Amino acid sequence: MSSCGNPAAEEQALMPRRLKFGNSKDCVRCRLKPGNIVIRHAVYCKECFTPIVDMKFRKVLEPSVNARVGTSKRPKLKASGNLCLGFSGGLGSSILLDIVHNTYFSGRTPLDDSGKPRGGTNHPRNASVWPSCIVCYVEACGAFAGMQDRTEDIRSVVERYPSFDFVPLRIEDAFDGSWWTKVSGLKSTPQVWLELSKEGLLTDDLHVASQVTGLTPVEAMRSYLSSLPTQTAISSALQNLARVLILHTAHSRGSSHLLFGTSLTSLSISLLSSISQGGGYTIREELQEEWAPVAASGSKPSNVLRVIRPLRDVTAKECAVYAWWNNISVIGRDKQRRAIIGIVALTKNFVVGLEKDYPSTVSTIARTCEKLEPKDAPSGQCRLCKRPMQSAIQEWKGRISIRSYSDDKLAADLAHIPSPCRGNLDTSIPSQVPPILALTDFLCYSCHTTLTSRSSRGVKQPAPGVSSATPLPIWVADRGLYEDGLMGDGARRKIPEEEMLDTVAEFLIDNQDCEE
Amino acid sequence: MAPTSCSLCRDAKAILKRPKTGQQICKNCFFFVFETEVHHTITESELFKPGDRVAIGASGGKDSTVLAYVMKTLNERYNYGLDLFLLSIDEGITGYRDDSLETVKRNQQQYDMPLKILSYDELYGWTMDAIVEQIGKKNNCTFCGVFRRQALDRGAASLKVDHIVTGHNADDIAETVLMNIMRGDIARLGRCTSICTQGEDTIKRSKPFKYAYEKEIVMYAYFKKLDYFSTECIYSPDAYRGHARTFLKDLEAARPSAIIDIIHSGEAFEVKEEIKAAQKAQQTCKRCGYMSSNDLCKACTLLEGLERGMASSVITDRARKNMDAMGPAPDNIRTIPLFRSTPTIAVELPSQS
Repeated sequence: MSSCGNPAAEEQALMPRRLKFGNSKDCVRCRLKPGNIVIRHAVYCKECFTPIVDMKFRKVLEPSVNARVGTSKRPKLKASGNLCLGFSGGLGSSILLDIVHNTYFSGRTPLDDSGKPRGGTNHPRNASVWPSCIVCYVEACGAFAGMQDRTEDIRSVVERYPSFDFVPLRIEDAFDGSWWTKVSGLKSTPQVWLELSKEGLLTDDLHVASQVTGLTPVEAMRSYLSSLPTQTAISSALQNLARVLILHTAHSRGSSHLLFGTSLTSLSISLLSSISQGGGYTIREELQEEWAPVAASGSKPSNVLRVIRPLRDVTAKECAVYAWWNNISVIGRDKQRRAIIGIVALTKNFVVGLEKDYPSTVSTIARTCEKLEPKDAPSGQCRLCKRPMQSAIQEWKGRISIRSYSDDKLAADLAHIPSPCRGNLDTSIPSQVPPILALTDFLCYSCHTTLTSRSSRGVKQPAPGVSSATPLPIWVADRGLYEDGLMGDGARRKIPEEEMLDTVAEFLIDNQDCEE
Repeated sequence: MAPTSCSLCRDAKAILKRPKTGQQICKNCFFFVFETEVHHTITESELFKPGDRVAIGASGGKDSTVLAYVMKTLNERYNYGLDLFLLSIDEGITGYRDDSLETVKRNQQQYDMPLKILSYDELYGWTMDAIVEQIGKKNNCTFCGVFRRQALDRGAASLKVDHIVTGHNADDIAETVLMNIMRGDIARLGRCTSICTQGEDTIKRSKPFKYAYEKEIVMYAYFKKLDYFSTECIYSPDAYRGHARTFLKDLEAARPSAIIDIIHSGEAFEVKEEIKAAQKAQQTCKRCGYMSSNDLCKACTLLEGLERGMASSVITDRARKNMDAMGPAPDNIRTIPLFRSTPTIAVELPSQS
């Protein structure tokens, strides 16, 4: 196999492998000690490495701490609210906890001769950047049978940092009215249910169904996950549920900043995976986000929550070495959830594979995406993922693929349908069908695709007795689905032939018919 | 088990599952939706106007063969009023291009379209065989890609056409989006999802198959029994594109809509204004008059490198500076003729047999 790992490439055609590091084996920073680690072809010693990671962390975070950018070159850091840290137990978030604690909460204020903070405890220099810090963890064991609850393990990690308050969440809280009442302050929000097809999957039109009661939050969540058409959709939905749970929790606790421990490698994975799932419009939010729940009409706009990924310049390799040299124990993320094979997992394998031989590619992905912005102004906030939503998504989808002959736009083209297919064609004007409530127009491209895009493989037949509808996360109706006028439109060499056949065979239903 | 009926006409028996939508449909409905979607892409982007002279970039491969067939069909069906031509580039790769050009010549007869073949040898004085002999296989795709783009424009100018259409399909575009992100090519990322591009002096180029899946193009060619040639080049070791392609195929296997989802992503974002402002302005090449972002266009730079025996060292901007530091180009090297929009080169018309 060639140096780039592509078995099809010939050795002569490829770039020669670069040296792992430059001419000197001494640390490029202090130039005194022999290096202990190579980071993107540069050598660093152990003593210089930790301050470099800390510096990269602060360089990303600190320009966004103050609510307003002043004229001072080194402004005093003072956030307008509390701090919230998203914690998964993984490598990045474990380091995040440690660095945030050591940098902002370890009480390293200069002391006077009497051992008290110099200038008194009320001196502005001695005030914390954030008054308090909570650590949110979302336990996802309810999503899969037989998965271990790790909340207590996570609690024991967080308790090592006495300044942090632990806020455990469960993934099924997304379907729990009492949790929603607690974070939103709204007394009751109706849960939205969607119709399911015969196969037990969500329908293409995402029609709203009448409510079915009697499901516990765990049952509701499992029903939602089982109605999703692909493994990609399940992993993407779980990510979204956890993200929105943390956003609402952070907001309800008066946080001005929410930090995630996303490393450069993880960021590149999430950017590429988001683009591959149609999330190009929200590429900016994937990097850094200013979020607030959409206020109900007439009410005061909410405070803005800044979502920052301060480890976004630190690669996974640097994180691993940082954790090792600073004795930070890492519990790791749950294995069962990681095992879901979908676009996220494929992208992860691809990027991690690239990182080994081409470390700069990982950084290039993030740097390139930083230079992008959405083309048009948003038309609102997606009801499911709570990110900005592009307009005319369904028009775009309808334009690029014909899924039904009843589409009005096809009227002029139907004259060209071959005659054998005209038999059952109903080209008459559709009768007035009462409008049906549909969610389609209130979802971003990515969420709509998550709910409706199917695998090329056949779907499993649902178990008998499965419900004809599934609930959606409780926040979908936060602004009042029925009062907000969300009404849908209501309409429901010479190539051998064998080689060509091989290419398309998986899509042919009955090969005998191909010979017609 | 009872045969499934077509989910579009609900009459005929479904014989295929559309890769793009997952719907089970019959053969006639497949032809209709495939052609009508291309028609919608053309009309909604207002690619042509009646009387336009349009060259179809023809390699003899599946994409361009199906494109020629569909363009001819749609032109007749919807009265576009286009004059269609076939335009082929002969890169000079023995045993590969000469065979595929035979397919193009058959297509010329089958579709009754004038054909123009322009060779690298005729334009640059170098064939790809000669280039590979000098530089080896490494980076040879850079030479071929740069030379082909300019050759197509020059061939189109010789046919006095307003527009070149190429067979780039949805898979190609999705792959290019991914590749440009991975290699940080902001300029190309900004324009790779545009259906139509036009430089200052160049002819319009567009991709009517922008939303057509590669698998559906193969399926169309298969059911229509179209005559095409495999165009996997014998010198194509583009490892980087190979990575992106393999990744895209994996994504497509996980969720077929991934291809169209990537294109949607590419259309939804754009390069920030401040980044665009810092990019080099477009000018014309001082030697051949073709559009360029430097004093010399990429084709002239590569050709000078070949002529001076330093071809493998002119791929990057830094290497180009090193070559400049060795003094000006000698007067006796071959150069590309000055680009004019209406040169006269003979065109081969289909025989009336």
